Amino acid sequence: MAKKYAVRNIRLCTKDCLCLYVCPTGATDTENSIIDVEKCIGCGDCADACPSRAISMVPFDYPPQQQKTDEVIGALRALLRSKSQQESIAAGLPGKLAAAIEKSNHIMAEDIIREAGYMLPQSDNVQVFLRSLLDNNQTEGFPREAVERLIELLSKNMEDDKMSENNTLKNLMTAFTGEAEANRKYTAYAKKAEKEGKLNVAKLFRAAADAETLHALKHFEVAGKIGSTADNLMDGIKGETYEYKEMYPPFVKQAEAEGNKAAVMSFTFAMKAEEVHSKLYKDALENLDNTEEVFYYLCPVCGNIEKFRPDKCSICNVAGDKFIEY
Amino acid sequence: MAKFVCTVCGFVYDEASGIPEAGIAPGTKWEDLPEDWVCPLCGAEKSEFEKQGGSVTANEEKPKPIMDTPSDMQELSPLELSVLCTNLARGCEKQYKPEETTLFKLLADYFKSASAPAENPNFDKLLELIDKDLKQGIPNANAIASDVKDRGALRALVWSEKVTRILKSLLTRYKKDGDAMLENTGVYVCTICGFIYIGDKLPEVCPVCKVPNWKFEKVEGRGL
Repeated sequence: MAKKYAVRNIRLCTKDCLCLYVCPTGATDTENSIIDVEKCIGCGDCADACPSRAISMVPFDYPPQQQKTDEVIGALRALLRSKSQQESIAAGLPGKLAAAIEKSNHIMAEDIIREAGYMLPQSDNVQVFLRSLLDNNQTEGFPREAVERLIELLSKNMEDDKMSENNTLKNLMTAFTGEAEANRKYTAYAKKAEKEGKLNVAKLFRAAADAETLHALKHFEVAGKIGSTADNLMDGIKGETYEYKEMYPPFVKQAEAEGNKAAVMSFTFAMKAEEVHSKLYKDALENLDNTEEVFYYLCPVCGNIEKFRPDKCSICNVAGDKFIEY
Repeated sequence: MAKFVCTVCGFVYDEASGIPEAGIAPGTKWEDLPEDWVCPLCGAEKSEFEKQGGSVTANEEKPKPIMDTPSDMQELSPLELSVLCTNLARGCEKQYKPEETTLFKLLADYFKSASAPAENPNFDKLLELIDKDLKQGIPNANAIASDVKDRGALRALVWSEKVTRILKSLLTRYKKDGDAMLENTGVYVCTICGFIYIGDKLPEVCPVCKVPNWKFEKVEGRGL
């Protein structure tokens, strides 16, 4: 739902002041009766409480206006021209009736142009119109600054759109992290269930883990985070380097200080393996066009990767025949 | 005994009941009402009434749209631009955006001052344009808007047509009675649809757009 804020119609307000009692932030209590947009959190409590229905909740962003066909616009513009001419003629005539007719035609003309594609001040049509005013030569007295300010104020709507896109991007990445975490968690639970012989539960955990992988991959893709393979390698190098240089060293120290030997080992294995990964990524990036087949061997204990099967793991000493070939 | 309906506001004159409070006895036939009799609700002339349940007349047939639109997609004149800007000011006002409202009004004032005054203005010219709107402009736009089911445009056209009919009635009376018709009486304009009311007892709601009467604005005289 679009974010909203409260506005008060002062003509309808009967000063029952219920809005002052219910507002959680004090936004409704102002010396000029205009509800403070900065303070309003859009909860709508004031609008619900107002006995005179003087408060409305209005959105920050309006939906796009209705599309108009060229034919409708053309027919309405012809009528606009006539009403405008009548306004002009009436303006040149004396008396109250002429003054009323001038006003009446202006109001009809406004309504007609509104229906000819100029309903919403925040619409693209209005932006195009305002920008065209700046491009064209204008006579003296043209309020250029007013037009520039209007363009800025009314296109804020579009910037807000971009900001909400950014929020969605943030949400996608949060969801990606959560789903990725759930995938590893369920994989660990599945292994445990297998050990306990609870094979049906293990199956469920594996299926759920795979499901979370699907979600994570989709979120990541929608967030637009997958680049070319060269880009992805560079991102891999960045991530692994950060982990082995910045993230793990203080983690290891902290675990040592706390005497948590298992954590020291877990962090150290990972730190050393990440360094290897980063070097392998660099190597792959340099040989991106190499089509000759390469084999990789993964240490199942510490996560070390070698390009040949070693006698034993250089990080954790596990025997080379345990390595998994890729 | 027949009934006659006002095409502007929907008021029904029932010959059987007359309007006793206005001195029209029950049983007064439509054709016996004085020629200068006007709708007690909105002020439309007798000619704007239709017999209820009457047969569809030739001019009620759906007109064929005239598709000469490209030539009408012209640049807007300065006065039309002022209309566009006051319309947008209104839109901003409704959204409670005071800064934008003021800026659009400023821009509207600029365009209005940049527009050339009408050459040799007179009431007959006004009536001529009104007639053209009623015979051509509005029916044409109506036909085009119904073809594409543009309800918004149709709504604006319904209001415009009714207000235009009222302007025609008022101008016709004014030609006959002159300023006498405006003596000691208020002139009001509905700020929503442009309906003009002449009299001192405003209808509760606008006969055309049905907005409450506090949206009406009193027109003061001006010297020219």
